[in-house]
Amino acid sequence: MKRKKLTMLLVIGMLVAASMLFAGGRQEVDSTDHGPLVPDLVILSSLPEANLVNYEMSQELAEELGKLGVNITAQPTDFAVLLDVIYGEEMDYDAYTIGWSGRVERLDPDMFIYSINHSANANPGGNNTERYINPDFDALADAQRSEMDVDTRREIVWEAQRILAEDVSRVTTYSRANVQTYNKERFTNLENMSGEGLFNEWSPMVMEPLTDRRVPVVASNVNITNLNPFMARSVYDWRNLRLIYDKLVRLSVDVTPTPWAATGWEIVDDTTIDVTLRGGMNFHDGTPVTTADVKYSYEAFMAQQDSYFAAFVEPIDSIELIGDSVIRFNLKNAYAPFITTTLTQIPILPMHIWSNVGDVTQYNNEHPVGSGPFEFVRFRNGEELVANKFNDYFYPVKIDGYIFKIYASPEGILSDLQLQVVDMVSYDLIPAHINQIKDNEGGRYSHLEITEAPDIGFFYIGMNNFRPPFNNKDFRIAVAHLVDYDYALDVLLDGYGSRGGGGLVINAANEFWHNPEVPIYDTYDPEKARQILVDAGFTWDSQGRMRMPK
Amino acid sequence: MLAYILRRTLIILLMILLVSSMIFLLFRTMPGDPTASMVDPSIPREARQALLERYGLHESLWTQYTIFMKDLVRLDFGSSYFYTRPVLEVIQDRLPATLILMFTAMIFAYVIGIFGGAWMAWRRGSKLESAGITFSLIFRSAPTFWVGLMVILLFAVNLRWFPAQGMRTTGYEGTSFREIFLNLDFLKHLVLPAITAGLYFLATPMLIMRNSMLEVLSEDYIEMAHAKGLRDRTVLYHHAARNALLPVVTAGALFIGSAIGGQVLIEVVFSWPGLGREIVQAVTRSDYPLAQGSFIILSTLVMVMNLIADVLYAFLDPRITY
Repeated sequence: MKRKKLTMLLVIGMLVAASMLFAGGRQEVDSTDHGPLVPDLVILSSLPEANLVNYEMSQELAEELGKLGVNITAQPTDFAVLLDVIYGEEMDYDAYTIGWSGRVERLDPDMFIYSINHSANANPGGNNTERYINPDFDALADAQRSEMDVDTRREIVWEAQRILAEDVSRVTTYSRANVQTYNKERFTNLENMSGEGLFNEWSPMVMEPLTDRRVPVVASNVNITNLNPFMARSVYDWRNLRLIYDKLVRLSVDVTPTPWAATGWEIVDDTTIDVTLRGGMNFHDGTPVTTADVKYSYEAFMAQQDSYFAAFVEPIDSIELIGDSVIRFNLKNAYAPFITTTLTQIPILPMHIWSNVGDVTQYNNEHPVGSGPFEFVRFRNGEELVANKFNDYFYPVKIDGYIFKIYASPEGILSDLQLQVVDMVSYDLIPAHINQIKDNEGGRYSHLEITEAPDIGFFYIGMNNFRPPFNNKDFRIAVAHLVDYDYALDVLLDGYGSRGGGGLVINAANEFWHNPEVPIYDTYDPEKARQILVDAGFTWDSQGRMRMPK
Repeated sequence: MLAYILRRTLIILLMILLVSSMIFLLFRTMPGDPTASMVDPSIPREARQALLERYGLHESLWTQYTIFMKDLVRLDFGSSYFYTRPVLEVIQDRLPATLILMFTAMIFAYVIGIFGGAWMAWRRGSKLESAGITFSLIFRSAPTFWVGLMVILLFAVNLRWFPAQGMRTTGYEGTSFREIFLNLDFLKHLVLPAITAGLYFLATPMLIMRNSMLEVLSEDYIEMAHAKGLRDRTVLYHHAARNALLPVVTAGALFIGSAIGGQVLIEVVFSWPGLGREIVQAVTRSDYPLAQGSFIILSTLVMVMNLIADVLYAFLDPRITY
């Protein structure tokens, strides 16, 4: 018996050895005809509960690439972990899904052209996590940054978009639409901004009451965490702070910089900008707003390396005051987004309060005093922020104030929309609720108007350009043909959004900067993808595995 | 007795240290560092580093731990990363709302539960008994958020008897505790969430009470009481129920201990600004100080309430001595 077992083992062992030899031999043979194997790949995607669309799209791509003989898995990953990986020192990843939100300051093309595509940011921790590098593109990205003439700058930005679309630096999968709602029987004349929606910085200033309810209730499903401008890090904090604090320039609804607390600016030369402060303005406590307050505010932000606005004040070298009303900004180098982002983002703080608080980051700022159109009344954590119209403001605000009411779930907001407790929302409605409001069963939502604004932000599949096969441009173009853009938009987003495409970073919602003439790879066509790969020299071995070009 | 309490207190103190260390480690082993949720990825890398340094997160785990323990001994839980306010202040802000909701729900559940449970044991085998059990178990098993949504749909949206969301009418003024909590507006907002939570809690006291009553009812002295010709009600509530209360007291004490954590789902469904939601958010945002502080307070309360329950035993049942 024992001997029998031994012989069996021996035979099996020999068989295994022989098959290994044989297999090895075949690999030898193969590699003479083919290039190296396309390495096994992992797409780090979102957890389905965090972002179902990203999750589905990465599964879809993995399936398509699997059919083409690439060993690939889509791995749902916690968002914090994903950030750790793609901003990590090792830069150890093949591909991932993530997005850039469409914040209003990103309407300026610098963020989506320079910050996320320039090779200077392709190092660990930089925002070019695709590690896309193209010297021709870099030259354009640098040029648009320092071009102070808007039209010339636009030409450069348009050309840069052409290169990104050709190179497929990333594959944009979709953009969401900002679908929101308000009570049309109570308020009118609201503005709707792309990337911002209804509760933008204009609506509260221009909306008009139709009834004697003169204080709209704005619903939010996210809490306000911090009212200290140096520590506020969420959009939700800033949506209120920018109404309490004023800014030198505000971006108009069609995104042109409009003098606000300033009466105008003069570009003395590429690195010197003079801004004239509007006269006769007061803070909510009655103290006049002076150029010293403005200088103080900008310098205070320059001193805070980790503030929300760190990137915007970084180009400022020094600030001088000329006379009573002019603030001169000396820049380290020409910086085109200075007017569209820096001047439109930094709040004017009252120096007489802030210069006395010691470490500004530790100051609680329980009762913010600004010079903006609305005066802070009170904030109850997790419940509501109440602000009154500031009567001494230079612009005639038509409502008496507003209440920013904080909810814990969108379902709760929907019932309060029906009960008319809420007058407008400040977040994007979920598709189920959009449909419910549109269906208007029993007329319960007849008083609501649905608004839709395209989002300038986008979600995408990022590919590590330093690693095979993504270092191969044709492979990336093939990937752009494997993404089912219609599935994302029509099925997963219920149609509320816009299509993506290869290398699309500035979409049509950003009318001024989007280049409509650039041909984009934005069709789902697996057969074409295979053909692109064949033409590029990719081959398949006898086991059907994809091989890199020789 | 005193020696017993002292000994238990010492054990509790040791346990707190142990639990705190575990909590500290648990949060540090969670994936992702706190800056991930604090700063926008578009902020330069140096900024993120500066933030880590501000919160001392660049120090070694051991250094962080010793600082944490030193502060803890002085009852200093640090400042929340998000609110940049002391943890105790943030908790204090939210605690009354949670406690009021939880205690209202508890009174609702325990009053109905104790009397209902006793009565059900008395009427063992009747249809009403099984109806009572089914009723309480349905609300125990149904997801609270679903019950909450149904309650809102019926009483707030359709009948419009009560407000659907929040703790007060929008724009309500008032600053002192009395102005905020002791008024009709607040009570109106309290009704729906308290009933939803109360229905969920009902099964525990009711079924425990019923079980322990069944045991007590088979004792000789109950038969004796009957034999003396006492009225049913007197036997039920004076002789039986008092003795059957003990396990319910334990359950109640433990409940109070955990009440501070609130019922997150109910807080979410009713937009109740309670501590439960805050704790969950603190965890998801890796707001270590706030999350640690909340959990330490929570576990301490559970332990203390346990001790109180044990001490109460001695009063409720003279046979128990320590």
